[in-house]
Amino acid sequence: MKRTTLLGLVGIALWVVNMLPPVRSLIETTMTSQMLVQLTMLTMSGWFVAHLVPLHVRDHIDRWNAQGIAGLLLATVTSMVWMLPRMMDSSLSDGTITVAKFVTVPLLIGVPLALSWPLMGFVVRGFFLLEAVATAFRLGWLYLISPERVCVNYLIDDQQVLGIVMLCIGGVLFAYFGWKLMFGTIRT
Amino acid sequence: MASLTLYPEDERLVGASRVAFNLYMITAIGLFVILMIIGLTMRLSQAMWFEVQVDLFYKLLSMHGTGMVGTAALSTTAVMWYFLRKYVNLHLWAFITNYVLFMLGAVCIIVAIFIGDYGALWTFLYPLPVNGMGLWSSYTAALFMAGNLLIGVGSLLFYFDAAAAIIKKHGNLGRALGVQWLFKGTIDPNHPKAVVASTMVIIANSLGILAGAVVLVMSLINVFYPDMHLDALLAKNLTYWFGHMYINATIYMGVIAVYELLPRYTGKPYAISRPFIWSWSASTLFVIIVYPHHLMMDFAQPQWLTIMGQVISWSAGFPVFLVTTFGALQNLHRSGIKWKTPSRFMILSLFGWAAGIVPAILDGTVRNNLVMHNTQWVPGHFHFYLVLGVLSMVLALMFHVTGSRTQTPPNSSADKIGFSFYLIGGLVFVLAFLAAGHMSVARRMATHLEQWIPTDKMGSIGATILILGMIYFAVRISIGLLRSPSSSQATGASSSSSSQ
Repeated sequence: MKRTTLLGLVGIALWVVNMLPPVRSLIETTMTSQMLVQLTMLTMSGWFVAHLVPLHVRDHIDRWNAQGIAGLLLATVTSMVWMLPRMMDSSLSDGTITVAKFVTVPLLIGVPLALSWPLMGFVVRGFFLLEAVATAFRLGWLYLISPERVCVNYLIDDQQVLGIVMLCIGGVLFAYFGWKLMFGTIRT
Repeated sequence: MASLTLYPEDERLVGASRVAFNLYMITAIGLFVILMIIGLTMRLSQAMWFEVQVDLFYKLLSMHGTGMVGTAALSTTAVMWYFLRKYVNLHLWAFITNYVLFMLGAVCIIVAIFIGDYGALWTFLYPLPVNGMGLWSSYTAALFMAGNLLIGVGSLLFYFDAAAAIIKKHGNLGRALGVQWLFKGTIDPNHPKAVVASTMVIIANSLGILAGAVVLVMSLINVFYPDMHLDALLAKNLTYWFGHMYINATIYMGVIAVYELLPRYTGKPYAISRPFIWSWSASTLFVIIVYPHHLMMDFAQPQWLTIMGQVISWSAGFPVFLVTTFGALQNLHRSGIKWKTPSRFMILSLFGWAAGIVPAILDGTVRNNLVMHNTQWVPGHFHFYLVLGVLSMVLALMFHVTGSRTQTPPNSSADKIGFSFYLIGGLVFVLAFLAAGHMSVARRMATHLEQWIPTDKMGSIGATILILGMIYFAVRISIGLLRSPSSSQATGASSSSSSQ
């Protein structure tokens, strides 16, 4: 089996596993795990599934995706929707939003990111990663100071835990990228 | 090693590069003059020689502060680009995009101040911008902060392009900074000082802009959702981390002009050395962690941060400053330097840097800060450092480039008179601030007590003389930059473009 096919199948498997009721109920128990585990795994499933896109289709998409910016824009706008606590909340109680989550996160975040990443130059990647770090810090700070619960399904202490974890993620990413830029090997 | 040829071939500005460089420099010098006149208006008002309404005073102060910081960054970015492009492959689109974003940001800021009546100064310290007390709306504050964000994004774009080019050539930022030669190894004598300084600026200022991007967006969220109260001390820390580094980086970009140009005027090579590498590496770290010296009066600040602010203040400026000044003096000694307008400005800039950091080091000491913190001592320091230090570096390059057409650096009698006005006016102007600080005259005040007025008058006279010199420079430099290239340059331009 070709490597790309294998990776695509891994993506589909990851997607199916996330759909399984026991897994869903376990992950969706806390706000932290829904946002950081479920959404991340769904994005990764899309990333892997993108390997199944045939080369001629990829070439066609690339023509509309100079420097990967169009794909990055699509992924960013979709991510903004799923960063809204209301959307995460609704995905637990509204079937339509649940379906939207399991479809749009892999297909409109994971796939475009995978197709765009190889096309991005240092500047676009740098901007994306720096903004990712800044967003982690901002969201972490927001969840920590929010005076009220932002989700009906989760308690305030849960969102504060998410805030702390987001700040830690921001810190780790910042340290990693900083170290890599200073002393690592970088493909420009 | 930097070239000893006065106008080397690889520095020639042709086509779009020339247009971009001229845009940067003519915009910058025009803005400097306008913003200086705004500053003079405020000093005249404090001296009771000219009446300015109190609300207008704070608008002018906001415009002067934001504008000067931005323009200093704009012009020194052009200095960095001008020299760095010789050593690494920079993209012109990034340089131009930075200019466009700067101008868009400037429009937001000007509209916020003069139409929206914003007057909470360039430091936009939370929660002041959103509490305009009826003088300005929260949307105006949002527009002001959005303008700052745009300018920051433009800078970041330029830095990322420069980082990509540097990494492509040197492997990573550490190697570009020269850390592999800190303890051992033979230093490559051709490792450009411009790359070392640019790398330091990219590292420090990108971190500062990251902090700014976080606090600005959080402040914008607070504008539209006031129930989301920020921790004011954390917001202040991030604001000063961004603000201090942003303005401090200007001298580190500007000094590239001294490294590159001074040897050409002295005729002596200005070699890279291990102390040079050490000083830039140390300053990279120190510049990042020195900002707490702005928060010494914040009693709630963790003590270790205040102590760090004081200790690093004593040491942050020294490594690069010492190695640069010592290196420059060594380069100057018995060199038979050609005293032309650019070389005069280079030496003045080193004096401005050297003398300008002394008041900062004094004020960066907790016991002194207790009495100096909110006095005119502080504007005394940064005007010294910026007017006689940073701006002199930029003027040195501007004058140098205006001489490229005839391959002769400018040195007319009018230039000498203009330089004298700039030097004398500048010294009187900054010493008036320092004298006022010594007398504990409060800063940022529209209305002054009777006892404070003598130093205001002295400052106004100095600023007037300085601006007269600056107006002459603005006209002289703008005409010089706009004049079409000499025939040899034009031929060179067409042959180079046809070969591409």
